[in-house]
Amino acid sequence: MSAAAARRRLSRRRAWRLAFRYLAAVALTVVFLFPIYWLFSISLKTPDEIFASPPAWYPASIQFDNFKVLFKDGDATTVWNSLFIAGTSTALAMFLGTLCAYSLARFKTGGDNLAIWIISQRMIPPIVVVFPLFLLYVWLGWVDTYHGLILLYTAFNLPYVIWMMRGYIEDIPIELEESALVDGCTRWQVLVKVVFPMARTGLFATAVFTFVFAWNDFIFALVMTRSEVTTYPVQVTHYFGGQSNFWAKIAAMSVLGAAPVFVAVAFLQRYLVRGISMGAVKG
Amino acid sequence: MSTLANDSGSRMNRFADRNFKYLVIAPAVLILLLFGIFPLVYTLLVSFQNINMMETDTSFSGLLQYRQLFSDIRLWESLGHTLLIVAIALPIELIAGLMMALLFLDRMPGRQIFVALLVLPTMIAPIVAGATWRLLFDNRFGPINQVLGWITGEPQAILWTIRPEYVYPAIFIAEVWQWTPFMFLILLAAMSNVDTSLTEAAEIDGASRLRIFFKIMLPAIWSVMTIALLIRGLDLFRIFDVIWALTQGGPGTKTETISIYAYIQGFRQFETSYTAAMAFLVIFLLTIAVMFALKRMEFVR
Amino acid sequence: MARLKITGLKKSYGATPAVRGVDLDIPEGEFTVLVGPSGCGKSTLLRTIAGLEDADEGTIEIDGEVVNAVRPRDRNIAMVFQNYALYPYMSVFENIAFGLRARKTPNAAVTTQVHQAAEMLGITALLARLPRELSGGQRQRVAIGRAIVREARLYLFDEPLSNLDAQLRDEMRGEIKRLHQEIGKTMIYVTHDQIEAMTLADRIVLLKDGLIEQQGAPLELFDRPATRFVAGFLGSPSMNFVPATLEQTGDTLVVIFADGTSLALPASRAAALAGRIGGEIIFGVRPEHISKAGNGVARDSHAPLNVTIDLVQPTGSRTYVTFQLGATAAVAELEVHDVERPGEHLTLLVDMNRVVIIDPKTDLVISHIGSAASAA
Repeated sequence: MSAAAARRRLSRRRAWRLAFRYLAAVALTVVFLFPIYWLFSISLKTPDEIFASPPAWYPASIQFDNFKVLFKDGDATTVWNSLFIAGTSTALAMFLGTLCAYSLARFKTGGDNLAIWIISQRMIPPIVVVFPLFLLYVWLGWVDTYHGLILLYTAFNLPYVIWMMRGYIEDIPIELEESALVDGCTRWQVLVKVVFPMARTGLFATAVFTFVFAWNDFIFALVMTRSEVTTYPVQVTHYFGGQSNFWAKIAAMSVLGAAPVFVAVAFLQRYLVRGISMGAVKG
Repeated sequence: MSTLANDSGSRMNRFADRNFKYLVIAPAVLILLLFGIFPLVYTLLVSFQNINMMETDTSFSGLLQYRQLFSDIRLWESLGHTLLIVAIALPIELIAGLMMALLFLDRMPGRQIFVALLVLPTMIAPIVAGATWRLLFDNRFGPINQVLGWITGEPQAILWTIRPEYVYPAIFIAEVWQWTPFMFLILLAAMSNVDTSLTEAAEIDGASRLRIFFKIMLPAIWSVMTIALLIRGLDLFRIFDVIWALTQGGPGTKTETISIYAYIQGFRQFETSYTAAMAFLVIFLLTIAVMFALKRMEFVR
Repeated sequence: MARLKITGLKKSYGATPAVRGVDLDIPEGEFTVLVGPSGCGKSTLLRTIAGLEDADEGTIEIDGEVVNAVRPRDRNIAMVFQNYALYPYMSVFENIAFGLRARKTPNAAVTTQVHQAAEMLGITALLARLPRELSGGQRQRVAIGRAIVREARLYLFDEPLSNLDAQLRDEMRGEIKRLHQEIGKTMIYVTHDQIEAMTLADRIVLLKDGLIEQQGAPLELFDRPATRFVAGFLGSPSMNFVPATLEQTGDTLVVIFADGTSLALPASRAAALAGRIGGEIIFGVRPEHISKAGNGVARDSHAPLNVTIDLVQPTGSRTYVTFQLGATAAVAELEVHDVERPGEHLTLLVDMNRVVIIDPKTDLVISHIGSAASAA
């Protein structure tokens, strides 16, 4: 067949394949996003629409009453609690963890054993440690306090931060630090002037993932808080009743809790792989 | 800028500089020790005692609690439930993740957007995911039954979160929905990192796409895949939030996993020592499983 | 063995053109080297022949069959990659056998053919090893083994020696030449190294910015370059280019440089350059065509030049000296003991038969050693 005809046949085959892939991609996206859509749509529906059977597929008009109720009842403050707790624990974990990671990366302090022990801390199932920690907290009087939960999240995020930041620091050419040392910097100055700026994208990415871990946690918050401190995941479960569930509140509260994370993902696209896989794959 | 240790001044500074690597690692390690070692030691101690709701008997009770473990049917059932979940959800997530990764592997305009959207389920709180599916599965007001009704032609009234025969499918659907994107993302990244000249050479050598996938692609991503499986496997083992939101372990104890059972024993029944013994059993089993898995990973390489 | 014919090939990546219109006709069994600076399109050309890229325009014919729409695996070609592309988790044996197995060759045949290829390359002892246990040169041979075992009709090499150190490269170059002599298949070889091009090729295709600048036998391009680019690309150290003007003194054509120095051209060149008298030219001469006077090689065609040496670079077997010719620094390749130190005054002899005259406006070569014979 002529060259032109051959080329045409080739590009037609290609076009079909691409179309099929797009179709599959769109179908997948619809399937995976539908539940999220449903959640959002319930949060915007009126009670009549929510309890319609068969269910309404989209709210007739968008109304924010469900959200307003949350704010009025003061339930929405749980989101602020979550923000404060997750934010503080993230800052602490990032700071201490990065320092520790630097020591591991540049000095191999504690050798392989320390590194392996630290990473193994992440693999511990919370259920195993939550109980004795609860007892410890009772003894310390830290149950149902902000600092108690913050410290807990910090401790549980440390292994992740250390692991990720070690990888990011190892990616920085050591010549930069060595030349700063030769120029007269102390080790602390090298950290602040060279390492932190060079690693700032890694810092940012790790910080966001750390924040999301703390933000989304349920079991620690469930166990360690009572009435004074409530985070939004726990608050959501308060709306599950024995007889009936406050669907609207569940949905609205969930949306309040999920929305910030979605925003973070939008900014984070490039770092998704490395952040989720803990550096197993260099994104 | 201060000069090196010749500074007339701080012995403090010199101390700090020389011991820099220890100073800098200390706070993190201390916290980890407190939150990591202490619970383990305490759990071990308590498991040898006899503390429960009624009495606080801190005398050494030997293997009392551990012996009770073996005769506790509910415990072994919960372990069984947990293993069932791991054994079914993990392969599904792996295969679905692989297929999705293959779909998006070749160049495709707008791929970044699709990937960002598909990853959203993984980013929401598991408890929220559970709550969402609770809404979806609702017998009267949830869309799942509606769609099923369209497909089968007659109205469906499946009680997903109550009927024993439907609870596990419900849990699997929710769990796989949330975590397949995780596998997908990792596998996509790993596959994208594979040296293209390997697949090109294989193509020129005459290999079919299937052969290229199994003999070139799969070995190349093997190490990443096993790490992902390990992480997910451990996560599945300690599954709590999703089940708590959907069924709270019910109906009865049908979907009770080890985490839920431990929670109930510890925080509802206040069987302190017994829970401690359970915790230790879990640690023991997990350690063996992880070491076994790690050995196999090394071996295959 | 196959004939390769390419007509009007064009390929762009997005808005960047890589190949802008290439015609090539390669007979069976010829060793063709595609050479040029980076970005000239040689790799793109090779990959298009392989089928790893699609041409935007033009046809590729192998043995008379248009293969534009044929997938790489069906084109019956073999390729050796720059980074060897060995399958890391398979033994050397399995690496070489991969293509055969993909075509469902029976086991007995596989073993025989793999061993044959291994023997030809001297790697029989390595068959059980893994790629990561091999040195660079050994991996090279395995990659070549994988290519030749399939007895394809066309062999493509994509800069296979770039990752080797200099000594190994020299050795492997010889191996590849010997291989071609033994199996005689049509081979297309891409490199940026002009030494490889000169020593390996039956035909050199010099590419620049996606177009063929000149093609032909190596010595043809070397002695009779068509453009300044070709003249400067081949040969190491490269040709000296000095701006000058062409004048006539009596019957002789003379090249005059900026500082007044002059060199007389032999009569054989006069005919071709007649129309250029009084005009600006670029004078091109290779370092090896300049020698020291008094070494006993004086001929009519050698014009004398009195210079002061600025720089001396001995290599052990030759010495390279730098001096001023006109307003330009020029390099000459002399015998080891011709010069001792910079600052010396020497008389050099320039072999005017072999110089190249270039038109500065078009960068075309208007006179070279062959022009004398072909001039009207």
